[in-house]
This record gives sequence, structure tokens and C-alpha cells, in this order.
Amino acid sequence: MIAAAADYSRWLRVLRLGYAYMRLQLKVIVREPAALFFVAIFPVLFLVIFSSLLTFSIELPPAAAGAGEIRFSQYFVAGIMGVAIFGTSFNLLGNSLAVQQFDGTLKQLAATPLPKTSFFLGQIGASLVITLGQLIVMLILGVLAYDVQLPDAGGWLTLIWILLLGVPAGCVMGIAITAIIPSARAAPAVIQAPFILFQFISGVFFTLASLPTWLQWVAGLFPLRWVAQGLRSVFLPDAYKYAEADMTWQLDLAAIVLVVWIVLGLAVAAFTFKWDRSG
Amino acid sequence: MPPAIEVRGLVKRYGEIRAVDGVDLTIESGQVYALLGPNGAGKTTLVEIMEGYRDRDAGEVAVLGLDPGSQRDALTRRVGIVLQRSTPMEGLTPRELLSFTAKLYEHPMAVDEALELVGLTEHADRRGSKLSGGQKRRLDLATSVIGNPDLIFLDEPTTGFDAAARRQAWNVVQGLTERGATVLLTTHYLDEAEHLAREIGMIKDGKIIFEGGIAALRREMQTDTRISWLPPAGLELDNLPAAWSELRRAADGHIALPTQTPTRDLRELIAWADERGLAELPELVVERPDLEQMYLELVEDAAADAERAPL
Repeated sequence: MIAAAADYSRWLRVLRLGYAYMRLQLKVIVREPAALFFVAIFPVLFLVIFSSLLTFSIELPPAAAGAGEIRFSQYFVAGIMGVAIFGTSFNLLGNSLAVQQFDGTLKQLAATPLPKTSFFLGQIGASLVITLGQLIVMLILGVLAYDVQLPDAGGWLTLIWILLLGVPAGCVMGIAITAIIPSARAAPAVIQAPFILFQFISGVFFTLASLPTWLQWVAGLFPLRWVAQGLRSVFLPDAYKYAEADMTWQLDLAAIVLVVWIVLGLAVAAFTFKWDRSG
Repeated sequence: MPPAIEVRGLVKRYGEIRAVDGVDLTIESGQVYALLGPNGAGKTTLVEIMEGYRDRDAGEVAVLGLDPGSQRDALTRRVGIVLQRSTPMEGLTPRELLSFTAKLYEHPMAVDEALELVGLTEHADRRGSKLSGGQKRRLDLATSVIGNPDLIFLDEPTTGFDAAARRQAWNVVQGLTERGATVLLTTHYLDEAEHLAREIGMIKDGKIIFEGGIAALRREMQTDTRISWLPPAGLELDNLPAAWSELRRAADGHIALPTQTPTRDLRELIAWADERGLAELPELVVERPDLEQMYLELVEDAAADAERAPL
């Protein structure tokens, strides 16, 4: 009984400090306009540019003939939201952690009794808040300017869990990749390369079915493909599932892959993550 | 009261180099202890092992009775650490950073009290990026003490400060000790150690070469008289008297001999010079250097070791 109570209060403390660190982190991010602009506003700009330039309609796969056409912006909004989710979690977090590992900021933090779990929770929480903000802006913009159709009730639900699993999965990747970054200066390059690659093989710009099978498999090992696919199920008419690799949305598989990434990734990160790489 | 820090036979190797080479250290509770030594002497490595940042290759370490290697979580609740490099999060104000830090501890002091203690009350709501170097350093101090630690590590807290800022920082440190905490200060400034610490450990090449009060250090380092002179160019320095044979030449060409028998050594040197027809020993000085001078030489020694050639 006493042990359980002590356990409970210990976890309460971890959550409380995680929340406090999240708020601190949000302040730091919001006050760094350059980084916020490039990572958070960029996908929005992408949406504007692509949707303005590419106004053609996407043809339906033959298997679902007769279900009607959709505008490119409708297709693209799903993909670019996936990019936004990963930009904030994987890209922004990975970069900022790498910089702080080398400049001593995290070393100073490691001098305090802040639990590692609170630290990770705070980072993930901050990414969630920022991503949520991005998605809301994109949705409003998409609906008002580019005639994007909002999802139905089931679609909203999917959108929410994709966000709640996709952001932590991206964060875990961001935390994990710091282990192979040799210096703060190299961080953007080391992170940018896989980030761009993932975008091209995850169905953000081209439909998955148009990629060779082995590339679809490679993409399937990483979270972005499943996030993007889940988002397409939210924003595209159901018949468009025939353009997916498996001719279904595979939402259950998406959830499993993301959860596995979060659990395994956190376990690995807990061992490999370093507070200080300055010396 | 048990000692705040106890270290026995501590060794840390980096490849072939023994950065910490068999250090024993006992630091009693409630005092300021200064770990003094030139750059590269092993101060920071030694302290970072005590802080739990680095692991050790051999030896025992107890900090507040805890092993920093395996009990770091418990240790962080009771120690405050000021690192050598100041890196407060620049987007935050001192008040924001301190409010957050206070939440991490069980019995923190009030944010306003910590601000007051380091003299940052006026700048409490200014962004970190707008603070001066000295103000950032004082924020580091406030961050490290807001949890009311039993032990505070200060790693070169005033390096790079001008005289006024140093004096200000010293006042802050003295304020901390009045609260009853033990302070372990590392510094390469002798006057800083002298001003703040009751006891001093001097470290060189990973070894403690002196331990005790500043008065004892003066006695210890001042026992030797020193004879130095500048051999003229072209003079063969063979068959020097035995006492002189082990010496090395300083960067400016002088050779110096610390000795407790200056009269005898000088007589031998003059006899040697006479045999070579050298009537005057250029720039001959016989002196008793003071502690500051000895320490400066120790520091320069370490810095210039590579440049000096054996005689």
C-alpha cells in the first residue's frame, strides 16, 4: 500500500515535471523565430505554393471508376501534414537536441534532478502542441483558399490518433538520430538527408503504388509512410485506397508500426541518449 | 559530521594519459575548498567524476556519502553544479529559468531570494540573450543554489571576468557559504583560492602536489631560495656543478636553481665560471620568490612544457 502510494507520487512527479519542462521548451521554441519559421511555417508555404501551382485533378484508380475526381490540394494536404508532423518532431527536435548536447545546455540540465522520462515527455509534449498549431493553420488555409474538404467524424478520430502516435514516433527518431551526429555543425545535414528521402518514398508527393515494391518496403519500416497513409485515409475519398500499396488503408498496421517505433525507440534512446557530448 | 567528499586512489585514464593519477582527497563539511592548478592539470576531470558526469577507472569516491557513479539521481537532489561553460537558455529570463529549476527540488528557496542572493533582482525579467557575461555567470550560480544544496561545485566561476566582476562573484560565493553549504571551487587563480578558501589542494599532472591551508602553502613553497642567471651565447655548459646538472633552460634562456643551500651552490657556480674565464655571470639573481611568483611559474611550466628543451 505504502509502496504503491510512493510509486504513484513518483509518477505524478515525473508527469508534473514533464509538463513544466514542456512549457519551458515551448517558450524557448516560440522565442527562436528563425527555427520556428523554417520548420513550422515551411510546410504551410509548401501547401500554398503547390496548391497554387498544381491545380489539376487526380484521376481515380481504375478499380474505383466512377467515384469522381479530387483536386491536387486535397491529395497534397494529407502528405504535407505528414511532413509537418515529422518536420516538428524529427527535424526540429533532432536538431535542437544535437545543438544542446554540444553546447552544454543539456549538461547543465543533467546537473539537476529532472528525470529523463520527464525530459522526453516534455519534448514530445512541446512537439505535439506545435504540430497541432500547424495542422490547424493548414486546415483553415486549405478549406478557405483551396477548397479542401474536411473529414467526417471517423476521419477526425483517425486524424487525432495519427497525431498522437505520429508525433511521439517522430520525436523518438529525432532523439535516436542524435547518437550518430558527430558535431552540432553537422546536425542539419545528418537529419535533413533522411528527412527528405522519407518524404519521397512515403507517398507524400507521389502515390505509393507508383514506387517499386522494395522501396515501398523500406518506407514501411519507418513511421512517415504510415502517418502519411493514415492522413490520406482521412482526407481522400475511400475509393482512393486502391491507389495504396495494399489496396487498403492498413490503419491497424499503421497503428502497430507507430506504437512499436515509440516503445522500441524510447527503450533504445534511454540507453544511447547522451546529455553531454561537448568534451 | 562526516566529510562532504572523500576520494581514495582515484585514477582516470584517457588512452596512455593518466588525467587523474591516484588522487586522495578529504573535504570536510561546511567549508570552501579550492582545487587549484594550471589548465590541463586534471581539475575538471577530477571534479566531473565527483559530479557523476564521468566514470572512473579505479578508486573510491563518496560525495555526501553517495557514489556519484551509481547513485547520481540521489546526488543531484543534494548538490548544485556550476559548470565551466555558461549556457543558460537564451530565450528565457532569469525568473523563468529559476522558477522551473525550483520545481525540480524538494525544498527550494524562493525565486526572489535566489535572485537577490546573486544580485540579479533588477534583471530578473530580461531575456538570457540580453544578459552580460557576468550576469549569465551569476544566473548559473543562482540556478545551482536554488535547490538549497548541501554541496556546491564551482568550476572556474570567474574565468574571463574583469576585476570588478570577480569581486562581485566572490561576494556571492561568500554569501552562499554563510548558508552552511560546502563549496568545492576549482580555479587557476591563486588569489581567488586565497580569498575564498580555507583549504587548498594543488593539482598538477593529475596528482595532488599540496594539501593544506594557504599559510602552510606559503611556508612550503617559500623554503627554497633561487639562483638564476643567463648563460652567454656560445658558452659550453659542460661539467656544471652537480646541483646544476639536472636543470632545464627556461624559454628566455635563463637557467634557475631552487635550493636550500644557496651559498654553497653559488660558490661552486662561481668556481666553475672562473675556470672558463667568465668573470661575470650575466643577469645573476639570488632571490626568495613569493608564492604568487612560484605559482605563476608552475602554471607557465605546464603551458610551456612542450616548448622547453632539456639542457
